[in-house]
Amino acid sequence: MAVVKERRASMAERKPSFIGKESPMIIPHLAGMEDPLPEKTPEEVDVVIVGTGLIQSILAAALSWQGSHVLHIDKNEYYGDTTPTLTIEQLTQWVRNVNKGLIPFYTNAQIYVSSDKIGKNYASRDFGIDLVPKVLFAQSDMLTLLVKSRVYQYMEFMPLSNFHTFENDSFEKLTNTKQEIFTDQTIPLMTKRNLMRFLKFVLNWENYPEIWEGYSNKSMAEFLSEKFKLNQTQSSELIFSIGLCYNNDVATPQCLQRIRRYLASFDIYGAFPVLFSKYGSAGEISQGFCRSAAVGGATYKLNTALESYDPTTKIVKFSDGSKVHVSERVVVSPTQTPDPKSKNIPKQNYKIHRLVVAIEKDCKQWFGEQESATVVVFPPGSLNGENFEAVQAIIFGSNSEICPQGTNLWYLTSVEKGENGKRLLDLALKTMLKSISRESIEVDDNVVKFDNKTGSPVINEKYLKEELNELVEPKILMKCYFEQYTSTCPFSIAQPEIFKTQKKDTTDDTTNGNKDNGVIYSPMPSSEISYDGAITAAKVLYETIVGSDDDFFDVDFEDEDITTTNNNRMSYSESAITDDEGEEDDIIMKN
Amino acid sequence: MLQYKLVLLGDSSVGKSSIVQRFVKDSFDEQRESTIGAAFLSQTIKIKSPNKDNDQENDEDIAIKFEIWDTAGQERYRSLAPMYYRNANAAVVVYDVTAKDSLNKAITWVDELKSKVDDEKKLVISLVGNKIDLISSTNDINESANSPGRQVDLLDAENFAKEHNLLFHEVSAKTGKGVRDVFYEIATLLYKQKLEDDALNKKDTNENEDRSINVALSRPSTNDPTSCCS
Repeated sequence: MAVVKERRASMAERKPSFIGKESPMIIPHLAGMEDPLPEKTPEEVDVVIVGTGLIQSILAAALSWQGSHVLHIDKNEYYGDTTPTLTIEQLTQWVRNVNKGLIPFYTNAQIYVSSDKIGKNYASRDFGIDLVPKVLFAQSDMLTLLVKSRVYQYMEFMPLSNFHTFENDSFEKLTNTKQEIFTDQTIPLMTKRNLMRFLKFVLNWENYPEIWEGYSNKSMAEFLSEKFKLNQTQSSELIFSIGLCYNNDVATPQCLQRIRRYLASFDIYGAFPVLFSKYGSAGEISQGFCRSAAVGGATYKLNTALESYDPTTKIVKFSDGSKVHVSERVVVSPTQTPDPKSKNIPKQNYKIHRLVVAIEKDCKQWFGEQESATVVVFPPGSLNGENFEAVQAIIFGSNSEICPQGTNLWYLTSVEKGENGKRLLDLALKTMLKSISRESIEVDDNVVKFDNKTGSPVINEKYLKEELNELVEPKILMKCYFEQYTSTCPFSIAQPEIFKTQKKDTTDDTTNGNKDNGVIYSPMPSSEISYDGAITAAKVLYETIVGSDDDFFDVDFEDEDITTTNNNRMSYSESAITDDEGEEDDIIMKN
Repeated sequence: MLQYKLVLLGDSSVGKSSIVQRFVKDSFDEQRESTIGAAFLSQTIKIKSPNKDNDQENDEDIAIKFEIWDTAGQERYRSLAPMYYRNANAAVVVYDVTAKDSLNKAITWVDELKSKVDDEKKLVISLVGNKIDLISSTNDINESANSPGRQVDLLDAENFAKEHNLLFHEVSAKTGKGVRDVFYEIATLLYKQKLEDDALNKKDTNENEDRSINVALSRPSTNDPTSCCS
């Protein structure tokens, strides 16, 4: 890939006082005692990072623990930049700012807030709304890094086992374990056998190129139908709910990798493939890595914007009038550029439609037992035959602590091209609202109880009345729609080239006038529903700065709690989104 | 064992970390245990059960584990994340008795804290004036030459604490004076609060049907779904 710079000094070489003599473990920077902190902004740092989004936060932590002195700023009063967790008030302000053109790469932001509920029955800060909601696969590079970096200790996680597919006008709960496939009466015997055969294959798919190689450039649906005789319903579930793909054109190897991600994650922490963090998704993890970076020695400054960077003098100027000399690089979020019109900013060619809705309704019937979230997928064509791309929805209940009791947050995402995205998300929302009102009468056990002695059904009138009332569609407390642009095409990682574009400009003074010459732009969030791809992007940035990613989070905190089982389990490639090199290796491998 | 989250607050260089280090080191019998990590410092102390029917039999020790979160410098530009305050049970708000304005700044931290936590009534806050070694050792020529001596009146701080229902101590992280008391007092109060809560909640313990499960990421496990959850 890039020209390999000379490897720079590691943490241990640069700050020998950090390392205990008798053991190689690293203890945190205990600010204040041995090394009083300076009062002012440091005058000299190695790296300035502008924007506290997920990828930048991982980068900041990785660089800090490697020994670089990082100054990490954000123009907002909150952490997260493109991936924050916001209160309703903050979200409203954010929408306003998007519409004023103050936040590049977002358009068409709209928000409705129920004035008779929010601020009365519920407080704005009872809600923690993520601009980028995500789930965490139990076997993934993000989970491994959360454990290794100890960032997980700042957070709480809950399981998510229920995946629903909307098909033929109804929501089907996914049949995803061998056991469920065996016991499911609705699946014909022949199909069962085919499904089992496929599940066995997919766990080691790279080892059987003779099966899939002919389909490298063909669609997964074709592959499933021809090689495994699976019908449309089965293959649709596999591709869109288990694989969480967007459309029918996804190439077979990519889809196989994504299906395996799901299956390999099963049973690692229990009978569920994914987890989610309480109190917020990407916004929460961003905060966690920022704290980790701070413990590693990074300096944090919110409410501070980048004014300019001069690549010749290496001086960075900030909105509060302060300045700093940078010895290495300046990394900037496209949303916090000092010059939104600059040609240095990578093109953000892909559009993501996002809709988030707060609903006054319990959606427990969609959740697994003792759980508080679910994923609902609308495969291509399922919305009146109009959607070319799948609509993915994550639903969180109040135990996720991002919304008050009796309410739910629904996040819907689509990468539909053209202008149809908003309408399709609304259609999906309407479908779900209708379904939840209908289901609440069909499903609730409280309505009909069985008499203990006689065994005859007894109708609980109180409940029946309540349930009938609920047939009225649940109240919408808040609804927010926006479009976000990204340079990362669906299913891909951020292209490394985008991090390199600006360097040549630094010698070319004729293009001057740009306030951002010489900076590296970090990528905007992708449309990916999991955290896959974020660490890869942070690693590419890290390598661009340090010269190699060999010591990316090369820290070893002592901890009696962490067992090694986690590492032993990593027999598969950890992320469904890997960089190109890795993927080729996988494909070439033969048995 | 009872576990509580304790956060430190106060301006830079008032000695927040020193207080914790003193507390943790002193109680660790020299030998540093493996609880130091990137996340926070953990320290377990034992307090006497403040039992009502008192005396003899019931003086068993209660183990209280503090999970102590340091600001890691993020307070310097008022850039503490919501994560920092979340679910805090106790806070130690520190000022420097030799820095004139530092009590006022501590007061703004108390306000900030109260605005950020969900249930401010339950939060135990201790206001702590640090660096009393710099004023008590005026006979030491070197120290007194560099030190401005006491700049924050003991009574002012005490009154403020009383008014706002805060615990209050003056300590020296350097000599260790008073440090232990800060944490033991908090532990005792938290324990008392817990007993009161327990008494209140006794009636409706069954209403916990909606308990959700958390997953412990450090403990992956197969086949036994109960062992991984707490």
